[in-house]
Amino acid sequence: MDMRILLAALAIPAFGARVDFTVSVKPVLDAHCAECHSAKNKTSGFSVESESAVIAGGNKHGAAVAPGHPENSPLIKVLTGAIAPRMPFGKTLAKSEIERLENWIRNLPASSAQKDGEWLWPFQKPVRHAPPAVRDPSWPRNPVDAFIAARLDREGLKPAPEASKRVLARRLYLDLVGVPPSPVEMEEFLNDNSAGAHERLIDRLLHDTRYGERWGRHWLDLVRYGETSGLEGDGAIGNAWRYRDWVIRAFNDDMPYDQFVIRQLGGADEHSQTRNNYPVDVQGHVPLGFFRVAPWDRSNLVADEVRQNYLSEVTTATGSIFLGLSIGCARCHDHKYDPLPQRDYYRLQAFFNTIQVENSDVPYREPGFAPRADAQIRRYQSLLKDGPEKIDLDKLERALLPKLIAARKSAANEKTDLTKEDLRLEMRRGEKSVFPRGVRERHALLLEDANRTQDPEEKDLLDEYESGLMAQLKAEYARPGVDPLARFDALTTGDVRAEAGRSSSKVFNAKERDRHAELSASLEVYRRRLGRWQPNALTVCNVPGPPNGPFPGPTRILTRGDYRQPGEPVTPGVPRVFTAGSEEQAGMITDRYRQFPTRGWRLTLARWIAHRDNPLAARVMVNRVWQHHFGRGIVATASDFGKNGERPTHPELLDWLAVGFMENGWSVKRLHKLILASAAYRQASENPIAEAASKDPDNRLLARFSRRRLEAESLRDSILAASGRLNPEMYGPSMFPKLPEDLADFARYGRGGAVMWEPNEKEEDARRRSIYIFQRRSLPLPMMASFDAIVFSESCDRRSTTTTPLQALSMMNGDLVHEEAEFLAKRAAREAGPDRRAQIARMFEVVLARPPAPIELDQFDKFKGTMAAVGRVLFNSNEFLYVE
Amino acid sequence: MSNELSSRRRFLLDSYLGLGGLALIDMLSAAEPMAARGQHLRRKAKSCIFLFMEGGVGQMDLFEHKPMLTRFAGQKIPPPQGTVGEIATFAAAPNRVIPPVAPFRQHGQSGRWMSNLLPHLSGQVDKLAFIHGIKVDNNNHGPAVYHTLTGNQFPGSASVGAWITYGLGSENRDLPGFVVLGDRRGATIGGAGVWGNGFLPAAFQGTLFRNGDTPIIDLRPREPAETQRQELDLLQWMNQRHIGERTQTSELEARVASYELAFRMQTKAPDLADFSRESEATRKLYGLGDPVAEPFGRQLLMARRMVERGVRFVKVLHGAGGDRWDDHGDVAGRMPKHCHEVDQPIAGLLADLSARGMLDETLVVWCSEMGRTPFDNNLVTDKPGRDHNQYSLAVWMAGGDVKPGATFGETDDFSIRAAGEEIPMRDVHATILDLMGLDQHRLAFLHAGRYKKLTDIGGRVIREIVG
Repeated sequence: MDMRILLAALAIPAFGARVDFTVSVKPVLDAHCAECHSAKNKTSGFSVESESAVIAGGNKHGAAVAPGHPENSPLIKVLTGAIAPRMPFGKTLAKSEIERLENWIRNLPASSAQKDGEWLWPFQKPVRHAPPAVRDPSWPRNPVDAFIAARLDREGLKPAPEASKRVLARRLYLDLVGVPPSPVEMEEFLNDNSAGAHERLIDRLLHDTRYGERWGRHWLDLVRYGETSGLEGDGAIGNAWRYRDWVIRAFNDDMPYDQFVIRQLGGADEHSQTRNNYPVDVQGHVPLGFFRVAPWDRSNLVADEVRQNYLSEVTTATGSIFLGLSIGCARCHDHKYDPLPQRDYYRLQAFFNTIQVENSDVPYREPGFAPRADAQIRRYQSLLKDGPEKIDLDKLERALLPKLIAARKSAANEKTDLTKEDLRLEMRRGEKSVFPRGVRERHALLLEDANRTQDPEEKDLLDEYESGLMAQLKAEYARPGVDPLARFDALTTGDVRAEAGRSSSKVFNAKERDRHAELSASLEVYRRRLGRWQPNALTVCNVPGPPNGPFPGPTRILTRGDYRQPGEPVTPGVPRVFTAGSEEQAGMITDRYRQFPTRGWRLTLARWIAHRDNPLAARVMVNRVWQHHFGRGIVATASDFGKNGERPTHPELLDWLAVGFMENGWSVKRLHKLILASAAYRQASENPIAEAASKDPDNRLLARFSRRRLEAESLRDSILAASGRLNPEMYGPSMFPKLPEDLADFARYGRGGAVMWEPNEKEEDARRRSIYIFQRRSLPLPMMASFDAIVFSESCDRRSTTTTPLQALSMMNGDLVHEEAEFLAKRAAREAGPDRRAQIARMFEVVLARPPAPIELDQFDKFKGTMAAVGRVLFNSNEFLYVE
Repeated sequence: MSNELSSRRRFLLDSYLGLGGLALIDMLSAAEPMAARGQHLRRKAKSCIFLFMEGGVGQMDLFEHKPMLTRFAGQKIPPPQGTVGEIATFAAAPNRVIPPVAPFRQHGQSGRWMSNLLPHLSGQVDKLAFIHGIKVDNNNHGPAVYHTLTGNQFPGSASVGAWITYGLGSENRDLPGFVVLGDRRGATIGGAGVWGNGFLPAAFQGTLFRNGDTPIIDLRPREPAETQRQELDLLQWMNQRHIGERTQTSELEARVASYELAFRMQTKAPDLADFSRESEATRKLYGLGDPVAEPFGRQLLMARRMVERGVRFVKVLHGAGGDRWDDHGDVAGRMPKHCHEVDQPIAGLLADLSARGMLDETLVVWCSEMGRTPFDNNLVTDKPGRDHNQYSLAVWMAGGDVKPGATFGETDDFSIRAAGEEIPMRDVHATILDLMGLDQHRLAFLHAGRYKKLTDIGGRVIREIVG
């Protein structure tokens, strides 16, 4: 394809300013048309009385206006004479007047042609309405509350009273940092009776680095974060943890959300306007993990199919995560509910056409991290070179070699026919071989080719050559003075390794095989750890493109989404619903030096998404944040703002927040602050007015705070925090909490018995926060899975909260609660002294963030169980599991 | 919880099913996700036992009699039409036809040809209905296993068992509604994802059962029952106080109930694995006592005991590690062994269900992730095998409303692919749902803006095998 044409056609999204009908258009029409086409006369059913009436048109030509396309609009055609009879009768409009109408039509959003039942709110830019007046002005603490109260007023509901400070502190801690407050932290907050204590706590928690670990997890849910392929052996896909750490840091640093988006989609894709041969910032590769953390099909199938599946996944994920649109539905056909034609799906996908799936080395720039990683790299290099396991393994293999040779010789004595295995062994004898050097070299070449290429034709060549040599081998072995068994002396420790790996081996005994497997597994784990610490990132690069490579073929519309049915080519562009129906806008962000024609595509899309004019980006993110604070989004289907999703409960509030979010530099932390400081958030979870529950059982209107269950991660982290054993170490390769013993056979995989669940570098690694758990797609921790942790394979915008007996079993009988309850008991004894009642009281404070009521203290005191049993009861209580 | 209230919830739940969506998620957290729910269509089957043979079973060695393979043994096959990808490549490359491992004979009223490798199952052949020439989306194990078991070749979708328990709940409140009996020799490809809930709520994920004292993870109490009961009493005292101070407590109450259920499961579940009450004749029927057949026989006996107790869906896995049905080499040596492992147990299960009058209410499905090629590209080995073939999967079903002795579809003379119209896997899924009384289109769940279905764009219910 001609580059110039392509670049010219690339759609850069711009948002034309909508022309005000009343100011610019109506006067023209009134002057020339209203005589016959007034609301009263309505000749031919057409009236110019309002914008919608003009657009709707009359009986003769149907819709008078094609939004975005004056050239296709009957109104213009009639006025210019392209459609007879030319209007107005006997007059001609001035060119400037026609241009004015054309300009209005050109900038009309496609949504203006809205048919009944269409849902176009998501595609219209948010407008900041003034907060409404409310009946009880004493309640609102900030404008958020005005919107909430006004809605409640309309339903005749009243907000719940403010929750107690204790409840609020626990709520804020679990909400912002994912663990409950310690008794000291609680005390501090309770003792702060000055004005603004609540706000100061919010500030403190937003500056707590645990915040990033909590909110980063929400983001990882969305981006379908996992660390293994999920398919065919479920091997690790690379150092996904670097992306995970980047996300945690981004939240902690309050990276502006527009930047956050741009770096994940458009990282390492920038040009310089002043420098030729400008190298991209290599650090920009880390956030591109976004493109890689989904399940990854490495299958050896049809390459086009694998590639298309990859691009589809990425396009679908981008649509739902950043735009809240189920654009993936348009892969096979026009979207059934939203104005997203199939063509636009492929135009969006075309932005990703330059992606080359390739990891790359990115040095550690985070403060203090490089020395930590370097030390580990050196450690594992040395363990692999001459560590104790390596020395033992070498020793073992050397010791087993004579045994293997003897076994092979004795087996060969009983069996006389020679196979190609024997031939290959003979070849390995070097100068001692019965074959001359030339034959050996030719054979080695063929063997290598056949093994390397796995090509049947290469294999045939080898077979043919070997077949020819077999007779010669037999003849040589039959010659006097030749010891055929000497071929087995060519066996090496490599053969020992292969034999030891056979579960049915009769050469080595079980003890030898087990020892060999154990040492090999240790070294394999060291190799993996070495790989994980090395500064390689899971990422994508750009295909080189001309002049260094061919230009990638154009993206084509695929009939029924089938890669075998390519149709018309398309160029990158954003869905037309955002551009008033037009495909031709300004050009792509390209390289003025024409050095890197494949650079800037992703960035173009990223900048369009994260642009202030995009009607969805801010709304979607604001809604996600709101959802995590209140348990339900203003749009309850957080990744689907489309027609099939749920309608917003408070659209003006969402828009008010979204516009403010952008005006505040896309600061997520400022958004948190605004929401958390509101009276709406501070409500108790019980509203004394019974109507609040009966009128609004789902609490859509927020006349109380919705009680909710802890997520799996918060539950595990909170248990560890209470026992005092949560390891606060941040960042770095993932860790492996203990698997239930019953899963021991699961920790192995398949034929090779490869290690699926590894020991940790240090014991305390297993007690790091849950966001650092290795996300092996085929092996989620049973306890986490039972508490609705995501399967990390599809984007998850909202966790479900189910109640099952398996949860109860894991909490009653599982390792975690049992072990940590013991430590909790020790902690209570340490902190409260020997008195049982004091210890019980301490446990209440640590686990439930409150002292026990007298009757509780009595009841627990009467209980005959151990102190660890007391801890288990508290960990299992509904009060611990729910946030109020 | 009053009966009135719980029946109201059940009613609401029923009415939300088929709509799917957030409302349902919210309902489920409050109500009881495993409450039994009515069928969409009136069908006899109440439970399903799903037998999965992992590795890709060679259909022409067991169920599809193809005399041409014997006639062309050792020769290259004529180029097949209509295949792409690996199969096309393999078929075009030098290859030799591998004849069936064992001879075939006709059996039963239906006169169906069955391999001599399955003498016991051949005796039950009139109970079975076959589908031949099913096409799977991928020619590798991982994606093909996901496709056959979750409807999608990529991980993340809900498995067949999750869908069915989501649709129907379970009849037994003391046991999980969806149970998986794994092969102890190793993990399945794809791991827990193949019995996962995917985008459905976690309540619908399969629960892995094993033979032995702790069939479920974390089932074994760490304290004596009495001590544990005291602990539980204190916990429930505390929870009741907590509930008493609150309104809208159905979710909190459900959690209290879930602990009582878990407590009961601790004794009920090990009962399942206690075969001491089973008669000698029954044990023999399942091949217990034959060391080769016993492991799978125990799994199937356990499966029968489960459906007897109202468990909705039992998935039984066979084949793991080096003992998958993945006969790339030595098919003549491996196939008889694996057949020996499963033949008598499966035949025993069918006979036992039938004798107990349970076959009508139990749908039995036999499935693998793909079929195999009739040829081997390796021309020299003395122990040839067969390669993967995504175009030739065979599935059989029995019980419920399955039409006994029926056959739908067939592969071509060389068993490369369907001789007629290709049968997509979603048709098989649609048929399974139908046989369980579920309408594939009503069984939907709103996820990320789309109504997800097991059959995605919808499959054709294969009426030809439905009675």
